[in-house]
Amino acid sequence: MPRIAGVDIPEKKKILYSLQYIHGIGPKVAADILAKTGIDPNRRASELDDQELSSINSTIDTGFVVEGALRRQVQQDIQRLKDIRCLRGDRHRKGLPVRGQRTRTNARTRKGRKKTVAGKKGVKG
Amino acid sequence: MSRSTKKGPHVDEKLYRKVERQVESGRKVPIKTWARDCTIVPEFVGMTFQVHNGRAFNEVFCTEDMVGHKLGEFSPTRVFRGHTNKKEGLSS
Repeated sequence: MPRIAGVDIPEKKKILYSLQYIHGIGPKVAADILAKTGIDPNRRASELDDQELSSINSTIDTGFVVEGALRRQVQQDIQRLKDIRCLRGDRHRKGLPVRGQRTRTNARTRKGRKKTVAGKKGVKG
Repeated sequence: MSRSTKKGPHVDEKLYRKVERQVESGRKVPIKTWARDCTIVPEFVGMTFQVHNGRAFNEVFCTEDMVGHKLGEFSPTRVFRGHTNKKEGLSS
């Protein structure tokens, strides 16, 4: 199994898509990497030889932030917002939507599963 | 959509002049302001503002990390005191 950017080992799929299993690499970046290294995006990941794999590895190392480093960066950005105690940091701390969305309804992604409250919505408690 | 770079950051002019004057004469008192939409620029670092939130003035001490944010982001306008508890009658 090919091994790119640390632990990721996608195979059998076309290299354009298997690269996207790496955290931080989507359609755009995957295409960019293949264009830079001159590898045909339609080839399967298993067909690539060691030299091609290492050239992919080195382009990722030099030009992109992926996996652990990216996760750390995002975490740091959020921590910064929390530390300066601004509104956005506050919303992160409270687990509510950060970008001004409504919270009267929806916002379930941030708030998690519904916690039903007796007496709300006309149902007398 | 973000602001056009051509315009540069929005900085309240009166406030900016006040800051300049304070820097010239050595730092002193916090500046009261209603300009919540004013971007914090590097010149503001180390200054203290009292930012109005519609009711009162909150003290905001500008640090380097805050550059690029607006003053209003540091002076919350809403108070959330938790939801009412029906069993114990009105607000708990």
